[in-house]
Amino acid sequence: MPVLEEPIREKLVLKNYVGGEWVESEGELQDIINPGTCKVIAKVPFSTEAEVNEAVKVAKKAYPEWRKTTPLARARCLFRLKEALEENFEELSRIQTMEHGKTIDESRGETRRGIESVEVAAGIPSLMMGYNLEDIASGIDEYVIPQPLGVFCCIPAFNFPFMVPLWFAPYAVATGNCIVIKPSPRDPISQVRIAELVDEAGFPPGVWNVVHGGAEVASVLLEHPDMEGVTFVGSTKVAKEVYKKCGQTGKRVIAQGGAKNFMLVMPDADLEKTVSALMTSFFGNTGQRCLSGANAIVAGGDDRFYRRFVDTFVNTTSRIKVGYGLDESIQMGPLQSEQAKERVLGFIEKGIKEGAKLLLDGRRISISGNYPLTSFLNPTVFEDVSAGMTIAKEEIFGPVANIMRTEDFDEAIEIIHSSCYGNAASIFTSSGKSAREFQYRVRCGNIGVNVGIAAPMAFFPFSGMKDSFFGVLHGQGREAIRFFTESKVVIQRWW
Amino acid sequence: MQLTTASQVVNFARELEGKSAKLYEDLAQVYEENREAFLSLARENKKNKLRVQRVYTEVISDALETGFSFEGLNPEDYSIRTELIENNSYFDRIEIVTDAEEKIQEFYLEAAKQSKSFLTDISRAFEMMAKKRVERRLKLRSLQGTISCQEEDDLLREESG
Repeated sequence: MPVLEEPIREKLVLKNYVGGEWVESEGELQDIINPGTCKVIAKVPFSTEAEVNEAVKVAKKAYPEWRKTTPLARARCLFRLKEALEENFEELSRIQTMEHGKTIDESRGETRRGIESVEVAAGIPSLMMGYNLEDIASGIDEYVIPQPLGVFCCIPAFNFPFMVPLWFAPYAVATGNCIVIKPSPRDPISQVRIAELVDEAGFPPGVWNVVHGGAEVASVLLEHPDMEGVTFVGSTKVAKEVYKKCGQTGKRVIAQGGAKNFMLVMPDADLEKTVSALMTSFFGNTGQRCLSGANAIVAGGDDRFYRRFVDTFVNTTSRIKVGYGLDESIQMGPLQSEQAKERVLGFIEKGIKEGAKLLLDGRRISISGNYPLTSFLNPTVFEDVSAGMTIAKEEIFGPVANIMRTEDFDEAIEIIHSSCYGNAASIFTSSGKSAREFQYRVRCGNIGVNVGIAAPMAFFPFSGMKDSFFGVLHGQGREAIRFFTESKVVIQRWW
Repeated sequence: MQLTTASQVVNFARELEGKSAKLYEDLAQVYEENREAFLSLARENKKNKLRVQRVYTEVISDALETGFSFEGLNPEDYSIRTELIENNSYFDRIEIVTDAEEKIQEFYLEAAKQSKSFLTDISRAFEMMAKKRVERRLKLRSLQGTISCQEEDDLLREESG
């Protein structure tokens, strides 16, 4: 199968986008490696403290004028950005495959999701309306005006290099704030390309900024006194730290952490469709997403159903075609880096050591095409996994599926609740009663019913509970509008 | 090699539409008297190509089962001619493009069936594309001048069913 043309043909040296200018950083450079081919495709700088401070300063300076820009005019900037993103849809998608490793279908899906956030935020004249009540006392009216706050920053994870910053940035700027984005240093090219299109779309200088770097840059942003709020997506450990730090410094925060998502399969589920849906859930994005399935629980004492499920699951998984994501026939790409692969390998070892039964060993790597195996793994399936095992408790962030079994629905719910995470959970069933019960009882932010990836659309909040989320308001939709604005209440009387 | 990902299937559909358009453009060059009719079919092919692409890129999402929706389609089962055969009669040439329309219809119907559970919008678009083939075959028959009342009835029944 021929491989799609790569949009990045020469090694890029990335720059910061600050105040509408592309600024070279004096910080150290790090290679960006295409995990599929192992070729260096770019170099990313680790910006200095002074450079980060400058970005915040520029954003703060741009804020008063941007705030005064009418919501309609701000929306028009977003409409132009949306058009630019559509025009460059394919290039943007292929860049994601090159820098992250995901398949081209997955990248296009990510591009679409990102664009949807821009579309929703473009509805800001309606979304940002306040509310009022006449005569709260005779002759006195009261109303609420949502107002922007100033400068926000966005610190996203590496697993969705295009989409995650767009869960926040379009809403931040639509509401009249300015934003500083620090992309993951592992795959920052998508955000550079978006900033180029932001520039073309005519956003005023300083409204949308990108500074590159790692944890040090994130710390500067977090502690900056002019930073009004922070959005973060990453591990639970760091999300907790971000949340704590924001509490100490009085910043509002959306901090999305890790996950360990359960897929409950009831004996009345449609087996074929369930297994197909679970393939995307467990192995889509090579298992590197916070909505991925991690533990499949088969409930009920029906041995025949259980065996059929396991056999079908393993058989379907074993046929997944692994390789470079720009080959259209590929169903699963590499891990994002060699280190990520090493981490997953460690979990597989642990699973074996703790007594789980290895049904499919992803360490036996077999890929399509002639590429270095550095970051590749094939899917792994474990059976006889118990809730106490490390592989059942900790986030692996890789293509590993654990199959568990419970007596009944109630025991399954107990196991789900024993997890410290509460990002997503799905049930596969043909019973409305079971589905309703699941939705009602399970303490997870995003629930799927016969859906393996319960990913909220841009006009709904991306929820999360327990150790998967720290904060009050979530990203996307109306909650994002609320997050990026403060409610000013006016009580008015005229004599 | 089987087509199993949405990207592959959509690209193959676009390829078929492109090849079909070329056949009609070639026919239009040779048969001046039916030039406009052939060009109109080619134009429709190009619209279909765009439509398939648009449906795919507009509904695709990171959460959909794009890599796992198709059990597998063998492109060889749906291969169509890409060039007119020299010295063939007008009648035979229309037969060739009619066969191609049938193959394309079969492809769309199978692709629609396979994607129905997970990629419903794409499946619906494929069904629509398949339906169009019935109209196009009717048009070709009338261009061939050999259409019988019985055949027309059969085709129309197929279209409404």
